Amino acid sequence: MTAVVAPAAAEPRRPARRAGVLDWLVTTDHKHIGILYMATTLGFFLVAGAIALVMRAQLAQPGLHIVERQAYNQLFTLHGTAMIFLVIAPFALGLANYLLPLHIGAADLAFPRMNALTYWLLLAGGLTIFSGLLLSTGAAAAGWTMYAPLSDFENTPGPGVDLWIMGVLMISASSIMTAINFLTTVMLFRAPGMTMMRLPVFVWNIIVTSLIILMAFPPLAVAMAELFIDRRLGGHFFDASHGGSAILYQHVFWFFGHPEVYVMILPYFGVVTQVVSTFSRRPVFGYLGMVLASFAIAGLSMGVWAHHMFTTGAVNNPFFSIMSFLIAVPTGIKYFNWIGTMWQGALVFPTAMLFAIGFMLNFLLGGVTGVMVASPPLDYHVEDTYFLVTHFHYTLAGGSMFALLAALYFWFPKITGRLLSERLGMLSFWLTFVGYNITFIPLFLVGLLGMPRRVVTYLPLPGWPELNLTSTAGAGVLALGIALTMWNLVVSWSRGAPAGDDPWGGGTLEWATSSPPPERNFHALPPIRSDRPAFDMRMPQGTPGGQARARAG
Amino acid sequence: MRMDPGWVRRAGVVCRRYASAPLLAVAGLGLSGCASPLPGAATVQGQRIAHLWAVFFLSAAGVAGAVYGLILWCIVRYRRRSDGLPPQYRDNIPVEIMYTAVPVGIVAFLFALTYGTEIHVDRVAPRPDVTINVTAFKWSWLFDYPGTGITVAGTPDYPPIAMVPVGRTVRIVLTSTDVVHAFYIPSFLYKRDATPGLVQRFDLEIRRPGEYLGECVEFCGFDHTRMRFWLRAVPPAQFDRWIEQGPRVVHQRVRYTAP
Ligand code: HEM
Ligand SMILES: [Cu+2]
Ligand SMILES: [Cu+2]
Repeated sequence: MTAVVAPAAAEPRRPARRAGVLDWLVTTDHKHIGILYMATTLGFFLVAGAIALVMRAQLAQPGLHIVERQAYNQLFTLHGTAMIFLVIAPFALGLANYLLPLHIGAADLAFPRMNALTYWLLLAGGLTIFSGLLLSTGAAAAGWTMYAPLSDFENTPGPGVDLWIMGVLMISASSIMTAINFLTTVMLFRAPGMTMMRLPVFVWNIIVTSLIILMAFPPLAVAMAELFIDRRLGGHFFDASHGGSAILYQHVFWFFGHPEVYVMILPYFGVVTQVVSTFSRRPVFGYLGMVLASFAIAGLSMGVWAHHMFTTGAVNNPFFSIMSFLIAVPTGIKYFNWIGTMWQGALVFPTAMLFAIGFMLNFLLGGVTGVMVASPPLDYHVEDTYFLVTHFHYTLAGGSMFALLAALYFWFPKITGRLLSERLGMLSFWLTFVGYNITFIPLFLVGLLGMPRRVVTYLPLPGWPELNLTSTAGAGVLALGIALTMWNLVVSWSRGAPAGDDPWGGGTLEWATSSPPPERNFHALPPIRSDRPAFDMRMPQGTPGGQARARAG
Repeated sequence: MRMDPGWVRRAGVVCRRYASAPLLAVAGLGLSGCASPLPGAATVQGQRIAHLWAVFFLSAAGVAGAVYGLILWCIVRYRRRSDGLPPQYRDNIPVEIMYTAVPVGIVAFLFALTYGTEIHVDRVAPRPDVTINVTAFKWSWLFDYPGTGITVAGTPDYPPIAMVPVGRTVRIVLTSTDVVHAFYIPSFLYKRDATPGLVQRFDLEIRRPGEYLGECVEFCGFDHTRMRFWLRAVPPAQFDRWIEQGPRVVHQRVRYTAP
């Protein structure tokens, strides 16, 4: 647990001296690593977002205007791969890297050097995947699911797929180590008084996410190893003509792939919970139910993988259907918890709260359409059409991405000591929210009309060009909204208004230390008597942090 | 803080003042967005799927409407009005039990309907009227009519047009020779994967004559986009005459010019 950065000086608001490049390269401080994670994943986010814009431009009208077939195939593969493996999931892990020790009153994570390794593995994995673009045969182009046998040597001889496999292996190793680190830290390093039932909901969700990672990523590594053996070492795991099975790949991949979607959502549920609680000035409603719901989601998520295979005719559809339906129940509980948290609260709407509300509104559409695609007969129609693409974008982009932006606005002041511009933030929110929905609502419709996913162009059937053009226009608005937030980050990093220790009236421990926190996080800890110690600290006359139902004010 | 131009500042003020009204509008838009008609279901099986869709759509609209209503109510009703500390209660067990139990009831209902529909859609007749062996390959389709010597073959440039009779049970026997493809006909609301090494069987009973577009919807590489086909559904008598023309390989002669 030795931090390599310079020791704290007298002035606690800033790290002793400005960290130089070398300090960043060798750091083992969880805050610095968290910042590296978040900055890197935002970088990949911009790349993947730019790719999405190119795809939308190509799809604006029927015909091949912008990119060629094989180029498009690389684009959606890279966009999906980056968004999933390099943006949404690792940003959450980076955020947890920064916040988890602060949330539980610890000085660092349990294994700081391993923590640094996870970051460098992630970066190397991402660069490895993208390096395929330098090959004459191009980067992997078989979709982020990399289905065999399309991805085998016979059908895709170029080394782009091998690079993709190696990159994904590095990322899965990184995620597994991070999960072990988080779990160990929460088990061993909680501050005195921080009992399990006083952990912030975000921390609970990171615990559950880590458990899911430990269950889901080893199978991913197996799938990747088998794919590589098939490609380069003469294996036949997925080759039907030699006794292998294409269906086997799908089983192993989705045994990872479905739980992965909860890795990409549970941390963001935690973010929204904390943002909503803070800006409603209310404790989290139904805390225990919230925690149990997360565990229920984790448990069920291990038994639904084959809902991605309803149309193969090779799985027990009713079983995987009912299991998938059941996940709607704990997810619904979260919604009612958020509503209960806002109920009778005193709501204010800074940008972080707006993005959290945007999350709730968008993710709901992802949820109800999720119940539709969990019904095999309906899935027979919409599977692998734009309806499905839109369903998962409502959960991952309309959902997780909005919560990611909420997290940026909420914790940027803690991380930098400066506020983001609220005016830019508001504007960014409205452009993002409206642009997002203009982009994706038409895609629900064109999906129902039968437009397949992963196509470089489409027939000019009635309605298709109009709906696609609307979607592309919306993507432009959305991009403007995101660009404003990025600009906001850049200018506020050095010129934002000073934030003070606690600009929002937050409840969790990080708001009880300085912004940015000192090297070992806390000079002194407040007494911890609830899941909102910072809130209790400001309410010395014993306002009910605990179970009491008192009314104050 | 002087970094925003004036128009940004003014827009920010407007946004803040009317923070909740547009949320309502966009939420409404979101709901009406899914209210789309499906393509008219042209098979008996597809009709059942369309009925199930209607129930799911209404349930989804009801649930989403209720939840949106609650969220928007909170936003409007509970916005901060004074500096007082709001009530700090943290649970309400009866309410929590209710919002766990009611969704269980809803999904049980939806699952029952799903199961009933799926049994019908997946049922294969003991003796179908017509059988067609469909083989997917990179990047087109082969339709083989066993016992007749007739084969309809396609290429990406010349997608195949396969004949099928209306009102009879058509058995599709589906497989692939190379990678995973999927046989999808939007107007039938139906698809099935074509997996190498696996033979799939399903029945279609087409209700009205017409030309129905078919698409490959499992990504299969370079020319996936153009892996289309058409089913030409004709009255049974016409179909029989087509069969009686004797064994042959039918190639589509019209080059398909659209993208
Ligand atoms: C916010 C702006 C976004 C836009 C405009 C956008 C647009 C698109 C488009 C056009 C496709 C290609 C669909 C196809 O050809 O089948 C796509 C695929 C995909 N997107 Fe996004 N996307 C966005 C954000 C996200 C985010 C935040 C995620 C987070 C995980 C994401 C995950 C994916 C995945 C996994 C695919 C599938 C890739 C594949 O088929 O292999 N997207 N997106
Ligand atoms: Cu899934
Ligand atoms: Cu295909």
